[in-house]
Amino acid sequence: MLGVSLAPATDAGKSAAGLGVVILGYLGAGALLAGLVLGGFSALLSFWAGIRESPVFIQIGRRAFFGAAAMTALAAVLLEVALLTHDFSLAYVAEHTDLSTPTALVAAGFYGGQEGSLLYWTLILGLLGSASLVAGASLGGRVAAYATGILAVILSFFLFVLAVVASPFDLLSITPPDGLGLNPVLRDGGMLIHPPVVLAGFAAFAIPFSFAAASLLAGRVDAAWIRHTRRFALLAWSLQTAGLLLGMWWAYHVLGWGGYWGWDPVENVALMPWLATTAYLHSSQVQEKRGRLRGWNLGLVMLAFLLVVFGTFIVRSGVVPSVHTFAISAIGPWFLGFLFVCIVFSAVLLAARANAAPAALGRPPAPVSREGAFVLQNLLLIGVIAVVFWGTVLPLVSGLFGLERVVGTPYYERAAAPLFAALLALLAIGPLLPWRRAGRPTMRALRWPAAAAALALVVLGAAGSRSVPVLIAVPLAAAAAATVLTEYGRAVVRKPEVLVRKRRRYGAYLAHLGLVVVVVGVAASHLGQQEKEVTLAPGGKVTLAGYTLTYTGSEQRQLADHTDFVAGLRFGDRTLEPSRATYAGLGGQALTHVAITTTPVADVYVVLAGINEDGTASFRVFVNPLVTWIWAGGAVIILGVVLGNAGERGVEAELARRRIPITLTA
Amino acid sequence: MTLALRWGLPVAVVAACVGYLIYSASGASEYYLTVAELRSHAQGGDVRVAGVVQEDVVMTDGGLHVTFTEKDGTASVPVDYRGALPDIFQPGITVVAEGRLGSDGVFHARTLLAKCPSRFSTQPYTS
Repeated sequence: MLGVSLAPATDAGKSAAGLGVVILGYLGAGALLAGLVLGGFSALLSFWAGIRESPVFIQIGRRAFFGAAAMTALAAVLLEVALLTHDFSLAYVAEHTDLSTPTALVAAGFYGGQEGSLLYWTLILGLLGSASLVAGASLGGRVAAYATGILAVILSFFLFVLAVVASPFDLLSITPPDGLGLNPVLRDGGMLIHPPVVLAGFAAFAIPFSFAAASLLAGRVDAAWIRHTRRFALLAWSLQTAGLLLGMWWAYHVLGWGGYWGWDPVENVALMPWLATTAYLHSSQVQEKRGRLRGWNLGLVMLAFLLVVFGTFIVRSGVVPSVHTFAISAIGPWFLGFLFVCIVFSAVLLAARANAAPAALGRPPAPVSREGAFVLQNLLLIGVIAVVFWGTVLPLVSGLFGLERVVGTPYYERAAAPLFAALLALLAIGPLLPWRRAGRPTMRALRWPAAAAALALVVLGAAGSRSVPVLIAVPLAAAAAATVLTEYGRAVVRKPEVLVRKRRRYGAYLAHLGLVVVVVGVAASHLGQQEKEVTLAPGGKVTLAGYTLTYTGSEQRQLADHTDFVAGLRFGDRTLEPSRATYAGLGGQALTHVAITTTPVADVYVVLAGINEDGTASFRVFVNPLVTWIWAGGAVIILGVVLGNAGERGVEAELARRRIPITLTA
Repeated sequence: MTLALRWGLPVAVVAACVGYLIYSASGASEYYLTVAELRSHAQGGDVRVAGVVQEDVVMTDGGLHVTFTEKDGTASVPVDYRGALPDIFQPGITVVAEGRLGSDGVFHARTLLAKCPSRFSTQPYTS
């Protein structure tokens, strides 16, 4: 759709042409190819070294992996140099940037397009993989060797796709004077931060997967791989959490449809790995602390990684309808093949090895126990994954048997809302349950969350709320918050130093509290949103949910590459200026700038639909309660993860020295 | 109760609940049709139809009411939509209209989604 911009290149001097720069393309392609060779070498050597348990070859295989990672980094640097020097001899540079694009966004073009985003992913995989291998030397020869081999296979797959199928270093036969530029919708600060965080979160989860599979291959089924990859799993989870929230924030502030989540396949495939990672972070504690759920944890790690690969396949292949136009390209089939290989590998490995040599664990715990709570939480999260997965693939499945069918928001709400409600209830109860068996003291501990829920119910009833979803969600959120607060209170009264010593536990509670804040924000903004479409003459007023806006008039502003139609609205002593920009150079594409103002209880969100010739203007006005709670809660979650795990390994080691080894005979 | 029953029963109950939720909510699914299929597929309920916006776009009411013809390969259908338009709406782009075909032969759209034309995978959402 975007034609080549015909605007004269204002800064042609920057477009360094000629042989000296065409070389960047050859160098980049060469670096990718060298990386591929090193990666393949590392994979073969590491597996062989693992089987033979040869320390020397394990070392060489690891160094070959570092070499492949270094080559990936070199390719990334070369692509960034090509972007920043406007080397339009590269198709990728010409297609994703132009001379008028601000420098920060030119740099972001690195991950703005398909080939570049794959290279970015590979880069993160190489860097984090190297870090995990350096730290993993203590895991013992075989596990370390197999982990290197599996990481090298994954890295080599990506490098193969980059070098052969979708290279960011493809050259154009004629170097154009200027590039095509970035779609104006993407010319936003959100573009700088959302995609790299999401992609890094996905790439990071290859590490727990690799070590889990390596442990299985080596026949070691203890919790060493969990402890070793915990930091990477937490990093992946934090990045995915932040990425999802940043994506919601970006959609809300830039796209102007009043919401932040649309259950589109692109969003769904990012949500599913997050759900699986969340489940894993919880269930892995059962294995760490009690030695149970070994096969289950391995399965979860594999599920999370498979969902990442599945998501990449869906996004890159365009097999399901979406409002996002996927970057449909030749890499779809390759990812489908890779997904298939990963599924078979994981399934065979799990079936063959997961139940090998079960340890004597003593009597199993009762279902009502912390173990039981973790398992139920896992089942519910997997239930949500099943709901989202079915909604995502329904067009594919139904298309095989007749007319294609799709599901929208109502499906997801009806199917997932009860599961989310149950998860919220578990958030209130689970942390209070003791390991092994819950008895009478637990019942007493539950009185605070129960009281908070009852109080919330009474307050809502008195306030006249008759919406069933609100009457379920808010009391459950209140109960979950009460659980966290009473746990903090108990710690402060009895022994304040445990807040630091057991920071992992209290950091997790802080993350729980952040999640409760997010849930309240989502519930309020979703269930309480009000919307109105109006056409106003200057001086006209519109009132929605008690907020009154007065239209003061409009003006036209001519800027360098676009025309801005700006409407003014008075809201108390504030002025809102929603606008519509028209980009002449892009076939007259329009771009809405939403005006949002935040009051203590709600966002007033105004979209300018159009300005008419008679001076009237049409608006779409939303009142979105408590949206800011979502962003604030997200920050609390990340804070909880950071505080709970900063310097945590030292504490763990100290505890491990004092603690009796976990033998679970009752 | 045996161990398998104590742990297996809750697992089976949760799985059955999830299965039921998916099954019952799937009733909210809509057909995703081509324009030609829309003509031959006489059924109540909302459907989605994808097609290319033709040149005959008429906007009234400050852009909050629009009529146009949607065409795909073989067939075309007039569309009537009331509401705010996606940013990139213009003749030549592909839209997905959600609504139903009236007895007047006009497709009355409840929502209108634009397919973003750019190459980016992280494409934005407009409705």
